[in-house]
Amino acid sequence: MGKNIVIDIKDLTKMYGDVVGIKNLDLKVYDGEIMGFLGPNGSGKTTTIRTCLGLLKKTGGDVNIFGMDSHEDSVNIRKRTGYLPGDFGLYNDLKVMTILRYLLSQSGVSGESSIKRLSELLELDLKRRYGDLSKGNRQKVGIVQAFMADQDLIILDEPTSGLDPLMQQKFYGLLREEKEKGKTIFMSSHILAEVEEVCDRAAIIRGGELQVVEDIHSLKEKMGKKLVIDFENGVEQDIFDMEGVEDVKIDGRTATMIVTSNLDEVIKKVSQQNIINMSLETFSLDQLFLTYYSRGGNR
Amino acid sequence: MNVGNTLLMELKNSWRGYFIFTLVVIIIIGGFIQIYPSVSSAFDDELDGSENIELDMAEEADFVVAHLSWIDVPNANNYTLLVGKSPQMIVPVDRVEGIHENEYSYIIPLEDDEQEWYFGILAVIDDEETRTEFVGMESNVERISVLEETFGIDYSTIHGFLSVLWRMWWFLLIGLYIVYISVISVSKDYEEGRMDIILSKSISRKQYLLEKFSVVALFTLFLLSIAGLITIASVHSLGELSNISASTLFITTLFSYPLFLVLIAVSFLAAVYFEDSKKSVGFTFLIVLIQYGINMVGNMSENLEYVKPYSIIAYWNHESMLYGEAINWLDVAVLLILASALMFIALRIFEDKDIPT
Repeated sequence: MGKNIVIDIKDLTKMYGDVVGIKNLDLKVYDGEIMGFLGPNGSGKTTTIRTCLGLLKKTGGDVNIFGMDSHEDSVNIRKRTGYLPGDFGLYNDLKVMTILRYLLSQSGVSGESSIKRLSELLELDLKRRYGDLSKGNRQKVGIVQAFMADQDLIILDEPTSGLDPLMQQKFYGLLREEKEKGKTIFMSSHILAEVEEVCDRAAIIRGGELQVVEDIHSLKEKMGKKLVIDFENGVEQDIFDMEGVEDVKIDGRTATMIVTSNLDEVIKKVSQQNIINMSLETFSLDQLFLTYYSRGGNR
Repeated sequence: MNVGNTLLMELKNSWRGYFIFTLVVIIIIGGFIQIYPSVSSAFDDELDGSENIELDMAEEADFVVAHLSWIDVPNANNYTLLVGKSPQMIVPVDRVEGIHENEYSYIIPLEDDEQEWYFGILAVIDDEETRTEFVGMESNVERISVLEETFGIDYSTIHGFLSVLWRMWWFLLIGLYIVYISVISVSKDYEEGRMDIILSKSISRKQYLLEKFSVVALFTLFLLSIAGLITIASVHSLGELSNISASTLFITTLFSYPLFLVLIAVSFLAAVYFEDSKKSVGFTFLIVLIQYGINMVGNMSENLEYVKPYSIIAYWNHESMLYGEAINWLDVAVLLILASALMFIALRIFEDKDIPT
């Protein structure tokens, strides 16, 4: 990962009338990294992305991409940027190849080898009419058009929406390939596992405001895991009084807690009791917001 | 600009609509012209056989002399002159029989000289039996139909017929379709959710809108050229190209182009403002109908002529062009400036607005 800033968002605000879209958002995306942009639905992810691309007019602040102003130099920025919208349509009556050829020409790029390579990778039939495709296959068309012009920056809004798990893995592989080529990728998602899988860093947005920007490793550490243990004879709460264990709740014979560190110690201690069942869960994004932030995390 | 690719894409995406409408125009324009002969006779207000009679009215001191001469009818023994004050002449006011020459001077008292007079000539022929043959009628007043009186055009000529055809149909037929395809070419990109992807490519919003404008403008030019050629072919098939030249027909058709450029610009303005095809189509249809209505009202009477400049149709002088008069370049310039101004506003609106999801 280089240290050149590719996307530099400073104090960005977007209002829809009196409604806040995003507020005073500051974010940097560096050259060659995969940055995840996490947030629940309606948190401002799409607004941020569309404002960066000049599809929405900012209310305040600045966005510089490749050192160029996103408003003044939007065409030059888009020459170097591929984009997959979160929600899109294309020409229903036309064949996929015809559409992709047209979109490639609008990027000022000729040659179809990248279209063929990407469609083979994603198992996309270029001869079919777009209107006849399933949701998943339409998403593949969106992915191909975002990557086909071999641009330096790829912005993806919920890229795996509609893709089956197998295809999601292929897509993650594609992201890694592009990263190896030195591409910068900025992708929004509401699926934490997805961000964990491919991203170097993640920014979390909620209610239009940036909550945290962390590398994935730190985020996972801070976030912890949810440990649920069913004891045969119940348990006292004070046995969990140790560093790295928070939010302990005892309900009958079941204990629920969040373990951010010292998992080994916890297991050793509880194993002295008779355990019927035990589960360790990674947080979903919703749980992250309900737990991490309610615990006064890095806000 | 990447007009070629955009044109190709629009044609691939909407070729059925373009093709069907081009056919409709060909059929309607070509077909309508074919009814000219029957319309011509319906509007022909010449008196029967007036071409056989010459009338010369000469005013004297106390009376007016109507000097009549007519063609010589073979085997005519003599002629009868019928004089009436209406073309029906069921009961003539006077009747002069036994005229042996094919000319006659009829005296009209001076107090009656401002009235309408109608003169009919009958030839009395003695073959195996005596019979009369109608030679013709003539009048001291010029016959003008109600329509000609209203619109100042003689509809019995090919010029008049085409003039009314264009006035009644051209603007509505072509105009409504042009505004529809103009609106749809932009609105559908909003509604079908492809605007984000298109505008994420390396084209500016200005370029996008100008490319779309160029595509519809090129199609309109193609359509008008086809319509011009069909008009020429249809007029030729009626043997009327001797009365009106092919170049006049083509130029008159083609010079409606600035009119439609204004409509295209209005449509793009509506499309980027409303971002909704139903609202935009409704608005632009209303504009077309209002413009058409203003023009019709302005043509109804001289007292209402002052409203005509408020309709863009008034700036396409198809009537004078059909009669071979010079093209009014000032009117062309007015339409081109108006189209440019509307497109400029459309571009400003489009560039300043958020693209909806």
